[in-house]
Amino acid sequence: MVYTPYDFNESVRHRTEYIEERLRDGSPVAGISYDGGVLLLTLRRTQRKIFEVYDRLMFAGLGNQSDLEIIRVGAIDFAHQEGYARSPDDVTIQRVVGFAISPGIKRAFGDVLNAPFVVRALFAEMGRKPEEDLFYTLNYDGEFVSLNWAAAVAGTPEAEEQMIRQLVPKDAEGAPDLHTALRRALRAWAVGRLWVTDMHLQEEGAESLTEERIETFLREQLQDLQVEAAILDRFTKRERKFRLLKEDEIRPVLPP
Amino acid sequence: MGERLSANHSGDFMALLRAHGLWRETELIPSERVAPAVQEVHGTTVIALKYRDGVLNVGDRRATAANAIMYDRAEKILPLDDYTLIAIAGSYARAMEIVRYLQHSFKYYARTQLQEMSLEGKLAEVSRALAGNLGMALQGIGLFIPVVSAYDQNRGEGRIFFYDAMGARFESVEFGAAGSGSERIRGVFDYILKTKGPFHEMTLEDALRESLLLLDIAADLDSATAGIEKVLPVARAVTGEGILDIPEEQLSDIRSTLRR
Repeated sequence: MVYTPYDFNESVRHRTEYIEERLRDGSPVAGISYDGGVLLLTLRRTQRKIFEVYDRLMFAGLGNQSDLEIIRVGAIDFAHQEGYARSPDDVTIQRVVGFAISPGIKRAFGDVLNAPFVVRALFAEMGRKPEEDLFYTLNYDGEFVSLNWAAAVAGTPEAEEQMIRQLVPKDAEGAPDLHTALRRALRAWAVGRLWVTDMHLQEEGAESLTEERIETFLREQLQDLQVEAAILDRFTKRERKFRLLKEDEIRPVLPP
Repeated sequence: MGERLSANHSGDFMALLRAHGLWRETELIPSERVAPAVQEVHGTTVIALKYRDGVLNVGDRRATAANAIMYDRAEKILPLDDYTLIAIAGSYARAMEIVRYLQHSFKYYARTQLQEMSLEGKLAEVSRALAGNLGMALQGIGLFIPVVSAYDQNRGEGRIFFYDAMGARFESVEFGAAGSGSERIRGVFDYILKTKGPFHEMTLEDALRESLLLLDIAADLDSATAGIEKVLPVARAVTGEGILDIPEEQLSDIRSTLRR
């Protein structure tokens, strides 16, 4: 069989459709910087979704669980080898995502004889100050984008845009406190999910996203999902900066 | 990418380093090829004492190479994680490398396996790292002896473990010590136990006072131990709430009350 450029384009299109179809239904992840650290938040059934990668690095994503697991272990392996062989300061988000993870995903996507990664992943790195925090979102084709202050991964790129609007409101100034960050992240999650599932919403536009509509949706979702939120703590004296938030820390931002 | 990663899912950091050629195996060199002993830098006296809330570790700051004092700001008490401290005496270079290894090994396990390594697992990991060091140690370099202090969360108490150069592990009831000055002051530990009662009932303040005094005596009897005079020692404790760094002011206050 002769393989032509046309076949290649066609196969890439098919792969893209196949992957995006599967990602649409995923539970979004919101990331936001706050004064005392960095927060990642999502909703899940039973399996954990937010993971510590290294001292100042954490990760979450949506898509195929086993693909996410490969990325998780790959990032942890690279980070610890580098941290040991060189220094913890040399383990940065741009090296982990840009050189350890992205090339393999890019290769898998371009290789028509192999299964591509079905994932959208969000990495967060804590700096000394909120303005030094970094987020990287990584797509199934290996492309990645770096962001400050906040980032999101969701079922579609449009949903991600809507989430960012919730995470960084126009009137926002500087880094919020943890309570505000949690509140924004939870609402961003709801908006990211609604944007994909509610067909009317895209026609009505973002203006129709009232607080009431968000809260009703959240209450509904919380019937069978639970909030998972994790932080990298900027000021803790502990060796491990990563910590999953406890139920009583999350409860205050849940809809009444 | 997938094949490379699936090989190591037990959280074994040494296996990961070996797979990537990053673990330095020490090997035996035939005796006729062994050069005259390298003058390596040695850390001297470290002390671990139980007290009411956990285990206190104190170490002087001196590092020596034969007769020369190389450094008077050496850190010989280091946290391995939030519930484990290691105090090191002997070859500074190899000790630091193994401490770095252990710190990464514990974290690597916790992060890949999504659970903390058990205390037994951590202690075995220290043994394994020491056993890997034996080739060098037999040739007279790279030998070091650690004292590991841990807070046992299941039992709710501090525990002290000491090792020999081959990695054999022993648990100590009240105290542990290592380094050139430690042998000279062994009797002093027993004297304190018999006159003032067990260390594990002492307050932090009392345990600090005894440990500074012990270091001071060690410095009087051992030329390689710096003691507490010129530079304050490093003092850290491991408790149920994690690692406690004891501030210099507190040490210097206690030092000023010692009768010397």
